[in-house]
Formats: sequence, C-alpha cells, structure tokens
Amino acid sequence: MTKIYGEGDTQVRALQDVSFSVSKGEFLLVIGASGSGKSTLLNMIGLLDRPTNGNVIIDGINTSTLSDNQISSFRNRKLGFIFQSANLLSDLTVLENVTLPRQIMGNNGTAISDAKKLLTTVGLEPQMYKRANKISGGQAQRAAIARGLANSPSIVLADEPTGNLDSVTAETVVQLMKSMSRKLGQTFIVVTHDHRQFGDVDRVITTKDGRAFEGKESSKIEVTA
Amino acid sequence: MEYRFNLAKRMLFNKKASLIGAVLAVTIGILVIHVNFVIFQGLFDAIVRDLTDYRFGNIQVTDEEDYIDKSDISLINWFERIPYVEAATPRLSTTASINITKNGERIEETRVPVVGVDPLRDIRASTVHKTVDEGQFVYSRNSIVLGSNVARDLGGAQVGDNVKLKIVDRYGQDQLKRFIVTGIARSPGGQGFDYSVIMHIDTLRDLMDRDGYTSSIMVKLNDPTKAIEVKEFFLRSFPNEDFIAETIEEAAEQQLAGFRSGIAMINMIGYFGMMSSAFAVVTIQMMLVNSKTREIGVMRAIGAKRKDILIIFLFQGLIIGTIGASVGTVAGLGYTIYAQETKMSWNNSLPLEVTIQWDKILQTALTAFSLAVIASLYPSYRATKLLPVEAMRTV
Repeated sequence: MTKIYGEGDTQVRALQDVSFSVSKGEFLLVIGASGSGKSTLLNMIGLLDRPTNGNVIIDGINTSTLSDNQISSFRNRKLGFIFQSANLLSDLTVLENVTLPRQIMGNNGTAISDAKKLLTTVGLEPQMYKRANKISGGQAQRAAIARGLANSPSIVLADEPTGNLDSVTAETVVQLMKSMSRKLGQTFIVVTHDHRQFGDVDRVITTKDGRAFEGKESSKIEVTA
Repeated sequence: MEYRFNLAKRMLFNKKASLIGAVLAVTIGILVIHVNFVIFQGLFDAIVRDLTDYRFGNIQVTDEEDYIDKSDISLINWFERIPYVEAATPRLSTTASINITKNGERIEETRVPVVGVDPLRDIRASTVHKTVDEGQFVYSRNSIVLGSNVARDLGGAQVGDNVKLKIVDRYGQDQLKRFIVTGIARSPGGQGFDYSVIMHIDTLRDLMDRDGYTSSIMVKLNDPTKAIEVKEFFLRSFPNEDFIAETIEEAAEQQLAGFRSGIAMINMIGYFGMMSSAFAVVTIQMMLVNSKTREIGVMRAIGAKRKDILIIFLFQGLIIGTIGASVGTVAGLGYTIYAQETKMSWNNSLPLEVTIQWDKILQTALTAFSLAVIASLYPSYRATKLLPVEAMRTV
C-alpha cells in the first residue's frame, strides 16, 4: 500500500509500496527513525486511516470495501490498540476504561468480571476504581494494555507503548505484552524506535523513507509485493 | 445506551464550569420569560382586575341609545336570580363643572366625569368604595366623593368642604347643586375614579332630569369564567331590547388592545433571549467537544461508531436541558410566588395581579429544554466528523 499526504508541491509519500503479511500469533516489531512511516503504517493496519493506494486485508477481509460503521465494528471486534500515551478516558475509572470496548460491542454480560480479571493480570487490582487521571504513567500504560485486550482482539497494535515510560516501567510493560501474547496467542504489532527493549521477538520490520524492510537493518530485503 | 449516558454525564460533570455556564444560560432564558410574565402579564391582569372591580364588572350592560330606560331594579333582580351572579349595580355617567371657594378664592374645574352610584348595591358589585382613603363613601343624596386628582385640582379640597356642581340637564338647562365632600377616592395605579366625582345615582338623575335612567348595569360574577354564558343568556332573554352586553375583555378592549400587543412583543423579546441562551449552549458544547477531541479519537479507535459519539453529546444536551429547565422553572416559580405573596408593586403603584399558570410554565420549560437539545445537535454532529487518526493527534 501507499499513503500520500497533501497535494502538488507539498505532497508527502508517508508510505510507498509497502506490502507484507503477518501470521496469527506473531509478535512483530516495526522499527525505524522518526518520520520513517512506522506510525502511518500502524494507522493503516489499525484502520484509523485509509491508504491512498492498496488494501489492508485482515482475516481474509479486504477492509477497503467496508463502510465507516463496518470499520468501527471491525476495529472493535478484531483490533486492540495500545497508544504511546495510554490515552485512557480521564472521566472514567480504570475499570470503566477497560470495560468500554466490550460495552461498545454491546456485550455487557461478563464485561466487568473479565475486565477485573485483566486488571488483576496486569497488576492493577488496587487501582481499578481510581479515576484514570489519578494513576501513574506506568499504571496507565498497563491499564491501556488491559483495555487493548478487553475484546480478545485478533491483532493488538501498539504505538510506542514504552515511549513515555522510564526504563524500569518500560521493561515491565514489555514483559507484560510478551507474556500476554504468549498466553492469549494474539498477534502483536508493536511500533517502536527502540527495539532493544523488546529483546527477541518473532519478527522485525524496519521502515525508512516510507518503505518497509524485513529485519533490523535497512539493507535487508525490501518487503514489497 | 447505559455507557454512553454514563460517559456523557461524566464528561459534563467533570467540566463543572462548562456545565454551570450552560445550565445558567438555560436558567436565565427561562427566568427572563418568568420575570416578563410576572411583570407584564401581572400588570395587564391588574388593570383588568381594577377595571372589573371599579368600572365594568365581569359583564357590563349598556344600551345602543345613550341610556337604559328600563327599570334598573328589574334588570338587577333578573341578574341576581342567576346562580353565577354575585351582585349587580346601576351606574349613571355624565360630566360637570365643579367649583369650590377656598380662602376667598374661587377655583373651578370643568368637564369633570361624574358617576352616579347606588351606594347600597355598589358596595356589593364593585370595590370602588374601598378606594376612599379619606372620609367615607357616598352615604346620602347630598354627599359627594371626589377623586384625589379632582380634589388636588380644586386647590386641595378636603372632607367636609362644600363644592358646587353645575350639570346640564336633558333640556340643556344648567342645574346647580351644592354638596358636602364626604370622601376622597385614591386608587393605586389610578384605574379607579381618581379623576372623577361620585355621587348618589338618584341625585344625579334628578340633576339630569332623567328619572329611572341608567347608563350601565355592572354585573359581578362569582365565577368569571361564566361571563360569556351569562351574557348570551341575557341577550337571548331580552331580544326586543337594544341592550349591549359585553364581557370585561370586550368592554375594556380599547384600554387593553395596546397593552396586549405590548405583552406579545415583550414575550417575543423573552423568547429571543431564550434563543440567545441556546447559542450560549452551542458555544459551550463546542468548547466541550473541542476539549474532548482526543477522547473522541480514542473512542472511535476502539470501535465507537459516529452514531455513538452523536448520542453521547446529545445526551449532554439532554442533561443540560433537563437541569437548566428544572433550575430555571424552580427559580422562575420562586420569583412568581414571591411576587404573588408580596403583591408586588413599584412606588405604591398598581399591585400586580400574579397568577401561576401551569400550562405556560410547562410550555416555557419544554421550550427551553427543546432549545437546549436542538442547540446540542450541531456540536454533536461536529464531534462525529472528527477522524480518529486526526483526533488522536490532539494532545
């Protein structure tokens, strides 16, 4: 796929002829310098933005054919998001934030008990009734992971999940994501500028100038169709 | 639905300044309508009340000719047999010249309205006797009550003074008669007989040489809502007479018409005020939407549809409308009850006739509520137009 922002002289090719596939259960790192296109790539995979050319196919469904409502439902059922700055809703408690994706889905039955289990797993049981803006950055990021997993999504997309954290907390969050990936068998696509924090992962893709390459070095094979 | 309402409520209540601002806007809109209603409708109703009590009654009977020549006693008895009628009384009107000599100086006033009353019947059908604040009401055939303005124009005539009246009788002859001032009438707001003199109806008939004649019959009802029914019954009962029977609204139409259009205009200004409040709600909600851009992006990212976002912000409009309409109605009702209990007036002027009209209160509250909800439509729509990826870039 290709993503172009702007027109004419101000045109920017954020992604150019990028094509790759990810297997179920893979833990994939997307690395690259600032402005290399890694966040744009994640936005395309997360259906938060549409490519200028090309398609994103998830579970065999060509998402470019979906309407806005269908894309919302698709995001809700299939994708989980973990953002750089947690992005919890400050008006809600930690528990309510984690319950929210299930409530949006309309599946309220066990939403609260499942959310409590997830929060216990990420070590936030004591904080679950606190307002989201009353917990620390590390706790917020753990809550964001719990929210990203609340709907049992097929793919979890994380954009610089450790970007705002100190090294100790970042390490905790990385280990948490890796253990959740192993435990739940979900696909993780993590965008980061510092792959060393993640140690060994199943696969690494490097972005540079809007192009994507397999492996940690830009000299490796370009992953285009 | 539950999470959307919960989220709308939390977002709103966590922005207390915005919530208070929006609620105040709706509240003030309602309060303006209530204050307008209390003052202007209260003034209108007070004028109607005083015109009813002093001049017209609930029904006024006159004749197409200048005078009713049928026996006033028989007409009054006819009316008083109707259960809805509390009392009826005859009135005779003309104008006169009055003079008084005070400290050797003769002061004369011309074209002063004169009202002849039957003192015994009048106090049952009218409250004009209550406006006599010095001395007492007409009690004999040579007593006269001066309106306060007439007394003032006569150099400060007082109870006990002698005044001379000159009235032109039916044959064009001047008739003179001396009276003792027994009272001075002064009504708050001047809707009474402040500019007239009041005397015994039989004395006036003698002076005018119109024995048995009456200008009007003033009918007071114990249930004013039956005025049209009683009026029509009267007209049906005397088909061969040239009577004119009018309800207070018809009889006082000239005095009230201008006032009515004034009230309509004031009400319109009030509703414009309410629309300004709606614009304030739009502005405040736009600020709310702008301050929640990132949250909207997050919600969209985790699967909320445009419809969900729309509902969340519409719920905020509903909450603002509900609280604003409730607070405004309570405040307005409080003001109305205060005005009613204290018989509000300014500088001893006409005391307002304040009534609580639940239908109007409900209508105002519903209008304010609806405007608040309508005002939230545009901000809600704007919120749905935010693209998740754009919204999430906002910090």
